[in-house]
Amino acid sequence: MASPSRVPGQPTALPVSLTVNGERHKWMLDPRVTLLDVLRDHLSLTGAKRGCERGECGACTVLINGRPVYACIALACTCAGTRVTTIEGLSRGRRLHPMQRAFLEADAIQCGFCTPGQILSAIALLEHHPRPTQAQIAEAMSGNLCRCGTYPKIVRAIRIAARGRKQR
Amino acid sequence: MTTVDRDRTLFVVTTVEIEGREEESVVQVPAFEPTPWSPRARLDHVGAGVVRVDGHAKVTGAARYTVDIQLPGMLFARVLRAPIARGGVSRLDASAARAIPGVHAVLMGRDIPSIPWTQGAPLLGTRILYPGQPVAVVAADSWAAADAATHAILARWSAREHAVGIPDPSGRPRRLRGAPAPPTSRRERRGNVARAIRTAPVVLTKTYRVSPVVHQALEPHGSVVWWQGDRVTVYDSTQGIFRVRRQLAEHLGLRSSQIRVVSEFMGGGFGAKNDCGSYTVLAALLSKKTRRPVQLVLDRKEVVLDTGHRPETLMRLTLATGREGALAAIDFEGWVALGADGWVGGPGQLMRRMYRCPNVRTVEHFLYTNTGPMSAFRAPFYVEGAFALESAMDLVARRLGIDPIDFRQRNLASADQERSRPYSTNGLSACYTDVARRIGWSKARKTSKAPTRRVVRGLGIAAQVWGAGGGPPAYAEVRINRDATALVATGTQDLGTGSRTILGQIAAEVLGLDLEDVRVVLGDTDAGPYAANSWGSMTTASVGPAVRTAAADARRQLCEVAATLLGASADRLTLRRGRVRVGGGRKSIALRRVTEHLGNVMIVGRGHRGPNPESVTVASFGAQAVEVEVDLDTGVVHVLRIVAAHDCGRTVNPALAESQLHGGIIQGLGYALCERLVQDPRTGAVLNAGLHDYKIPTMADMPTIDARVISSGDPMANHIGVKGLAEPPIIPTAPAIANAVYDALGVQPTALPLTPARVLQLIKKRRTRRR
Repeated sequence: MASPSRVPGQPTALPVSLTVNGERHKWMLDPRVTLLDVLRDHLSLTGAKRGCERGECGACTVLINGRPVYACIALACTCAGTRVTTIEGLSRGRRLHPMQRAFLEADAIQCGFCTPGQILSAIALLEHHPRPTQAQIAEAMSGNLCRCGTYPKIVRAIRIAARGRKQR
Repeated sequence: MTTVDRDRTLFVVTTVEIEGREEESVVQVPAFEPTPWSPRARLDHVGAGVVRVDGHAKVTGAARYTVDIQLPGMLFARVLRAPIARGGVSRLDASAARAIPGVHAVLMGRDIPSIPWTQGAPLLGTRILYPGQPVAVVAADSWAAADAATHAILARWSAREHAVGIPDPSGRPRRLRGAPAPPTSRRERRGNVARAIRTAPVVLTKTYRVSPVVHQALEPHGSVVWWQGDRVTVYDSTQGIFRVRRQLAEHLGLRSSQIRVVSEFMGGGFGAKNDCGSYTVLAALLSKKTRRPVQLVLDRKEVVLDTGHRPETLMRLTLATGREGALAAIDFEGWVALGADGWVGGPGQLMRRMYRCPNVRTVEHFLYTNTGPMSAFRAPFYVEGAFALESAMDLVARRLGIDPIDFRQRNLASADQERSRPYSTNGLSACYTDVARRIGWSKARKTSKAPTRRVVRGLGIAAQVWGAGGGPPAYAEVRINRDATALVATGTQDLGTGSRTILGQIAAEVLGLDLEDVRVVLGDTDAGPYAANSWGSMTTASVGPAVRTAAADARRQLCEVAATLLGASADRLTLRRGRVRVGGGRKSIALRRVTEHLGNVMIVGRGHRGPNPESVTVASFGAQAVEVEVDLDTGVVHVLRIVAAHDCGRTVNPALAESQLHGGIIQGLGYALCERLVQDPRTGAVLNAGLHDYKIPTMADMPTIDARVISSGDPMANHIGVKGLAEPPIIPTAPAIANAVYDALGVQPTALPLTPARVLQLIKKRRTRRR
C-alpha cells in the first residue's frame, strides 16, 4: 500500500503493539517510523497534524499514558505497550469531552490546525493541576504554537473546563 | 425591503481597494438590493456570538485539511531546492534517484513545459535567484522514498555573488551586484513639502528599520492534485480557490473550467497563500505524468524559504509641525528589500492617509535581492510604515510637550485626503478616547514612572487606518430544501476567520431560520459561484451582502408561495423562527408546510455584491494602548497589557471578531519583540528556517489583551454595514509597544524586533544621556 512512512533501505521490521483510543493494534514496523506516521497513515487518524515534523510546533501532540508527547519525534517502536489517546478518542459518540466543549464555548479555535494538540495538552494540564495558575498554564501550553492567536481564549477554555471539573 | 427598477443600468464600473491597491472592476448592478440594516437594528442572528459552525469538526479532529486528504494510489512528492543564494546548477543527474525503489517520476526543467516563474525565469530553471528555489521534483509511493530520491539527484552548484538585505542605509538605491533585477522607485506628493519644512518651527528627522518576518501559518503550504483525463482536481491550502484555478490554468495551458479547486478546511494563510504555488503546478505535472493523485506538502523549512515574507524595510521620515502641534509636512523615503520577486505596495500610502497634513512627499525604492520572493503579509507595508510613522509622531509629541494621544487627536484626518472625499464613518477619535479610558492613560502615565530599581514601566499608543470596504464581484446562491432548511453556496473560503459561520448567520437572519438549519458550502469552485480571494479584510463586506441578497431573493419567493396558502398579500408576511406570519397577527404557517407544499419545486435565491459608493471612502480605524515593563539588567521587554478599540462597522459575531483582534495583536507582538528572518549576508543561507530559531509568540509570552469593537453598523459602506477587521489589529501593536518602551526609557527604539540586545543598547544610551 502507498504510505508516506515506508522508508527505503533495510527492511528491518519490529513487532510493535499499541493501544490507541482503547483499541489494541499490532504491526510490524520499520524502527524509523514515527508514532505520527502510524496514527495518520496506518489508522487514518489525521487529527494529529504535521506542522513542522521536528518537535517545534506541537500540532502533532497526543497523550501517551496521559502525558502529552510530540508524535512527530516519538518513534513508534519506543511507544510499544503504551496507551495512546488522540483527539479522535476524546468524544463518546456525539458527547464531547469537557475540554472540547470548553474550546467551543470560549471560541478557542481559529483555523483549527493546532486545536487537537492544544486540547490534548490542556487535558494533561488539568490532570496534573486541576486548578492551574497562570504560570502553570503558560508552562504547560507553551509547547503548542498557534499562529492565529487563540492563546487568550485557550486560557479561558482551560478556566471553563477547570470550573466544570470542580463542580463535578 | 426590496425594490426592483427595470430601467436600471446593468453594468457599471466600481473601485475596489485590495490591500492598498485600487482595482477597477465592471460590476452588475443587482436587480434588487435589500435596504441597509440600520446601525441600531435589533437582529436575531447577526450580532450574536454563536459558536462557530465548523467548531465541532475542529475540536474532534474530523476537519480534513489538505495534508489530511488520502486518495487511492496517492503518491508523495518532494522538491530538490537550491542550497545557494545565487548562481547556477549544472550536470543534473537523476539516474540514481530514479533507481530508488518506489520512485515513480523525477521532473527537472528539461522535462516540463516552460512556465514563467520568479522574474519570468522558467520554473525548475537552472538560474538560481534565491536559496530554496525549486530545481527538481520527485514523486514516490512514500514520502521517505521521495525524500531519499531528492538527495540522490546529483547536481553541481556554482554560487555567484549575491545581494541580501538593504546594503547602504544612507545611500541611494543602486543596482546591487547579483540582484535579480534593478530597483524601481515611486514618488508621490501633495502640496509643497520643502517650503513647509523650511518655515515650520519644529522639524524632526529619524530613520527606522524593520526586519523581514515570515507568516508561519501552522498548516504548511501544499496541494493534492489528481489529473484524470482532461479534468484536474486540486485540494489546496489556499486563500483563493478561484484565483488558484485561473492561475493554474494559465500555467498549464488549460481552460480554467477543466480545473476544480477544493479548500474545505484551511490552516491559516495571512497572505502567504494568495496565489497558485509552484508546489501546486509541480504536483499537477507529476500527477499528469504518473496518472496518480500526488500530494506535495512543504516541510517547515521550505515554508520559510519559499512561501514569502514581509520585507525588510528602511524608512527615513521627517515630520514638521507648528507650535500647537498641527502637522505641516510629512517627508518620507523608504527602501524595501522585496526579495527575488514580489509586488510593489509600499509604506508611502499610510503616510499620505493617516494624519491630516497638507504637504506630503513619499519616495519608495523597491530593491530586488537574493531572498525568496516576498508575499503580502497581513496589512502589507502598513505594518512596516506604522512603526516609522507612529514612532516619529511620539518623537514630535515629546519635543512639543504634548500628550501623544492629544497630538494624534489634533491631527485626525477627518477625510480621505488622497481622493478628496469624506469617510463613510470614522470612529478613530472615539477609539483613542476609549483606549485611554480603559488603560487609565493619564493616571498611569504619571504613576507608572515609579519603578523598582531594576525595572521601568511605560505606556504607548498607536493607531491605524486601513481601506477595508470590500467590493464586487462576489456571488452567492441560497437553495431552500424541502425540509425547510437552507443551503448557502458561495465560492469564498474560510481560513479560520469564521466566514462559514458569519455567512450562515446572515442567511439565517434573512430567512428566519435557526443557524443549525443553514448549511454553508464554500471552498469548492464546482459548488459555489465566484467569490474573490480572502485577502484585504474584505470577505465579510464582499460576500456578506451577496449572501443577504440571495437569501432575500429566496425569502421573497417563499413569501409569494406562503401568501397563496395564507390568503394574504406577500409583502405583509414576516418570516421568523421557521414560521411565516401575516403582519404581527396570529395567522401563520410553518415554513415546512410551505416547502412541503412545493414538493420538489426548488426555490433558489441568487445574490451578488453591488458596486461600492463613489462619494465616500470606506476604511476601518483603530487605536491600541500598551503598558510595558523593561528590565534594565537584561533588556527584556515584558508587555503587561494591550488595550485595543477598533471601528470596523457592524460586528456579525462578537466572539469571532474578538478572536480576529487577538490574532492581529499577537502577530504584532511577535513583530515587535521576537520575530526576524535571518539570512547570512556572507553565505546567503537562511539561518532560522524553522519554528525554533524563528520564534513566534507562545502562550508564555501573552500579556493581558483587552480588545473590542466600538462601532455599530456603517450603512453607507454596504447594506450589511460591515467594514474589514482581519488586518487592522496587527497595524498599531508593534509601534504602540515601541512607544511604550520609549516612554519607559526616554530613548526611542528605531529598529524592530526589540531584542534584549537592542534594548540594552537603548539603556546604555539612556545612562550616557543622564551623566
